Amino acid sequence: MASLRHLRLSTTGAALALFLAAAPVSAEAPSGEQIFDHCTQCHGSAGEGNQLVAAPPIAGMAEWYVAKQLRKFRDGIRGKDARDHEGLRMRPMVRFLTDDTWIDNVSSYTASLPKPAPVATLSGGDAAKGAGHYATCAACHGLAGEGNQATNGPALAGQSDWYLYQSIEKFKTGVRGSDPKDTDGAVMRGMVMILTDDQAMKDVVAHITSFPTN
Amino acid sequence: MVRSFLVQASSFAADIDFVIDLIGVLVGFWFVLASCVFFYLILRFRSKDEGKAEWVTGEEKSQKRWITIPHILVLICDIFILVGAVRVWVHVKQTMPEETTPVRIVAQQWAWTFVHAGPDGALDTDDDIVKIDELHVQKDVTYRYELSALDVVHDFSVPVFRLKQDAVPGRVIEGWFKPTLAGEFDIQCAEMCGIGHGMMPAELFIETAEQHTAWMADHAPKSLAAVSAP
Repeated sequence: MASLRHLRLSTTGAALALFLAAAPVSAEAPSGEQIFDHCTQCHGSAGEGNQLVAAPPIAGMAEWYVAKQLRKFRDGIRGKDARDHEGLRMRPMVRFLTDDTWIDNVSSYTASLPKPAPVATLSGGDAAKGAGHYATCAACHGLAGEGNQATNGPALAGQSDWYLYQSIEKFKTGVRGSDPKDTDGAVMRGMVMILTDDQAMKDVVAHITSFPTN
Repeated sequence: MVRSFLVQASSFAADIDFVIDLIGVLVGFWFVLASCVFFYLILRFRSKDEGKAEWVTGEEKSQKRWITIPHILVLICDIFILVGAVRVWVHVKQTMPEETTPVRIVAQQWAWTFVHAGPDGALDTDDDIVKIDELHVQKDVTYRYELSALDVVHDFSVPVFRLKQDAVPGRVIEGWFKPTLAGEFDIQCAEMCGIGHGMMPAELFIETAEQHTAWMADHAPKSLAAVSAP
């Protein structure tokens, strides 16, 4: 009987320990690093991105831009087009960001990560020709693709070529930027129309990838 | 039994429930009976001071009956289950009703795209209505679905329909359902499809004819191109 009572006590103790371990330590929002742990499955442990799962690099991206995109995904402004297969993957992922503090925390954390050096995956682009096209982009994205919050232009330097190409294509076809609430996207949709064909898109991407990362 | 836990919202839900109930009752009966016999024998022939237990080889006819009679009875039960299951399988999976309205279902990590036929009742026309994670159907109308997957294996599961069908990349799988109960219900992916599998729910709206007509009028497409099956 003594051993049975001992077993019962041990079981109760183990259950209590499990309960305490599972209970939230505080009501505060988790840190950006804790939230980012959920993102690493696709975006990589250092936010370096993974083309295989259509996840772009996010390390070192401006905090304001990441936060804005997360809110767009959350509010159904981005990633709700049936043709946006990559966006549809991201859309459910933001559901666990239950309030703005979480979005701010994780955006701040990703901004603090060092930008990875992009790996070339696209060929056939002519950076010199792309420089001509980029003159239009520079007004919002900066002469060296450094980005400009005042014009809602995110940094392009350091971004993967495949993601840049894919994004331009999506803006051109209206897969991205078509939602009436997506005012930045609507501007971008008009801008990408200067890239009249596939070669022009590749050229401008080649030019952007020639920018220094930092 | 099953319908006490979950409403039946399709024409074949009761048939599926019947098979589940049949299996549950028959298997449950034998489980309870076998457990009773098992524990009775354990208690009846528990260790006593009268001496060592006899080693029973099970070769005598009187002993073999304990195996052969239940075995035959269980096989008879199997026949009932087989007949019931095959009858339902042929009705639900192998017989396509003639008058159907098409709906295209495309699964991907981690969303459902539903392409509804517009007022013309045909897919791949200008009036198709494309919705993400929302399936709108009309009560008492038979639908023929074209199910496909863009990336990995998913499973289109509608518990209130008792419908569960794998979506396999590279294949377009056809099936049918007929909603019989108006309301809002859950759709889920029932095949592990990656890290976002648990965040891949969709909503099923079963509407009356008036509601469905009004919904189609409200959601007439403006410029969105219809999604073609891969």
